[in-house]
Amino acid sequence: MRDVYIIGTGIHPWMGFSEKVFADFAAVAVDGALKDANIEWQKIQAIMAGIFIYGGNAGHLSGQYLESIFGETGIPVVNVYNACATGSAAIRMAYNSVAAGETETALAFGADVSPKGFLTAKSDNAVQDRDVIRWKMGGLPNPIYWALECRKRMAKYGTTEQDLALVKVLMSEYGSKNPHARFKKTYTMEEVLNSAYVCDPLRLYEICPVSTGAAAVIITADKDLIAKADKPVKINATTMGSAIYGDPTIRISALSCPAVAEAPMLSESYSASRQAYEKAGVGPEDIDVLELPDNSSWHYLVYLETCGFCEEGEADKMLRDGLTKIGGKLPVNPSGGFSSHGEALSAQALWQIIECANQLRGRCGERQVAGAKVAMAQTYGLMGNSGTTIMTI
Amino acid sequence: MEKMANKVARIPNLVDWSTGEIRLMSAKCNSCGTYFFPKEHYQHRPGCSREGVEDVLLPKKGKLASYTVQYYPCPAPFKTEQKITPYGIGLVEFAEEKIQVTGIITNTDLKSLKLGMEMETTILEMYTNEEKQQVVTWAFQAAK
Repeated sequence: MRDVYIIGTGIHPWMGFSEKVFADFAAVAVDGALKDANIEWQKIQAIMAGIFIYGGNAGHLSGQYLESIFGETGIPVVNVYNACATGSAAIRMAYNSVAAGETETALAFGADVSPKGFLTAKSDNAVQDRDVIRWKMGGLPNPIYWALECRKRMAKYGTTEQDLALVKVLMSEYGSKNPHARFKKTYTMEEVLNSAYVCDPLRLYEICPVSTGAAAVIITADKDLIAKADKPVKINATTMGSAIYGDPTIRISALSCPAVAEAPMLSESYSASRQAYEKAGVGPEDIDVLELPDNSSWHYLVYLETCGFCEEGEADKMLRDGLTKIGGKLPVNPSGGFSSHGEALSAQALWQIIECANQLRGRCGERQVAGAKVAMAQTYGLMGNSGTTIMTI
Repeated sequence: MEKMANKVARIPNLVDWSTGEIRLMSAKCNSCGTYFFPKEHYQHRPGCSREGVEDVLLPKKGKLASYTVQYYPCPAPFKTEQKITPYGIGLVEFAEEKIQVTGIITNTDLKSLKLGMEMETTILEMYTNEEKQQVVTWAFQAAK
C-alpha cells in the first residue's frame, strides 16, 4: 500500500430542511474540492459516494448523478450506505482504491437532505424492515436511546446535568466561529439548563437535530498533484468497525440489549478506532485534535472513553478540567460538532474529516488548534457501524 | 384472560397473553445461550451453529435498568388515540435471561420511577381499528 493524501476538500454549509435540489448543493462541495486541489474533474478516477437517503430508494444514485453534472467519464462509481457512518465507508473505499494502485486520484462524497423533525422509519413493513417495530410499537425516537444510556451513566459515574450542559456551551462557542456550521448562537450554562427536556436527562440543546449538507474529499497518490497541492494531508488510516457480540449498549433501532457486558460499550467505534491506531501506528496520546460524534452530550463523554482517551467514567473530569477545550490537552470538536451542525447522514463523516484536514492545514481562523499535526475523525452510525480516520501533516 | 378479549397487537409475535399472563415473546438459542427480542431479530455468538432456537416467553416481572420521560409526541408511524405524552420509556432487565428490553411505561407515576424498581409486563391500548378491536403494544408498569 502506498501513501495517500487529501489534496482538496469542499463543503456546502449545513442548513435546515431545504427544497434545494441535489445538483445545487452537491456541486458546491465538489467544485470546492476541485478548486482546493487545483485539479480538473477529469483527474478523478473513481467516485465513492454515500447514497442519497431522502426519498428512499434507487431513484437517485449520488455518484452517477454527480457524473452527469460534471460530465460522465466511465470511471467506477460506487454508492454506499452505512447510515451515519456512510461517509466513512466512502472515504475508506476511495483510500483503498488509491492505496492499492487501482486509481491515482479518487473522490469521496456525501450529500443528504433530512426531513423536518425526527428521522423516522423509511417503510411500513415490520417483517422486512428492522427499523419499523420501534416506531409502531416502541415509541422510540433516536434521542430516547441516548437518554437511556445517559441515565445509566449518571448513576454509574456521577455525570451531572451541569456536565451535559457544559458540552453544549463549549460546542456552541466553537460552532459560532465556524462558517460551515448551521447553528451559530452561543449558549450559557443557564440557557442550556433552562431548555426543555426532550427525553430527560437530555434537554433540547443537548441533542443534535437533523440537517442538510454536502461534503467532498479528493485524495490522491499522484506525486505531481501532491506537489502542487496546498498543504496536502496524509491519511494514516481510515477504518470501519462493526459491533462486537455482548456489547451492552442499547443500539438505535434495537428493542433489547444484553444485560451482562461481554464487550466494550459502542463496540463498533471501539473496533474502528483500535484498527486505526494499529494501522496508523499512533495512539490516543498522539492525537492533537479530535472530532467525535456528539449526537448528544452523552456521546461527547462516552466517546472519549470508547476511543481510549481516558478510562471509563473519567471523561466528565476531562471536560470539567478543560482538557477538551481548544488550548487544552485534547481539543475536541473545534468545529462545534454535530451540536452546531446537525446530522446529514451521508455527508457528516466527511465534514468531520474536512474539519480535521482544515485544522492540520491551519485554515480554521478563530477556532484553530495551534500547531495541530495529528487529527482523528470518529463517527458512528446506527445498527452497529462506525469509522475512524487518522490524518497527519 | 377475559379483559384481553377483542384486543390485538399492532404487530404480531411480540407480546403474548395466551397463558393468562401478559409476557414478551423472546427466543433463546440453545447452542450459544443468547436470548433475543424480538424473536425474529436473530442474534448469535460468533461461531455458534445456530441450531436449536426456541420460542421463549420472558418472565412477567423484571427490574428497571434505565428509563427516560419523552416530552414530545412520538412521530408516525407511531399512532395512539390516547394522550400519553409525556410518556415514560423503560429498559427492563430480565436477569436470568441476561436481556434488557425497552417498553413504554404505563399506569405508573413517572415521578416514582427509580433504577432497580420492580416492573411488570402489561399492554397499552393505542387505538381502535376498523374491526372495532383495541390495537395494543407491550408496555411496562410498576409491579403490583
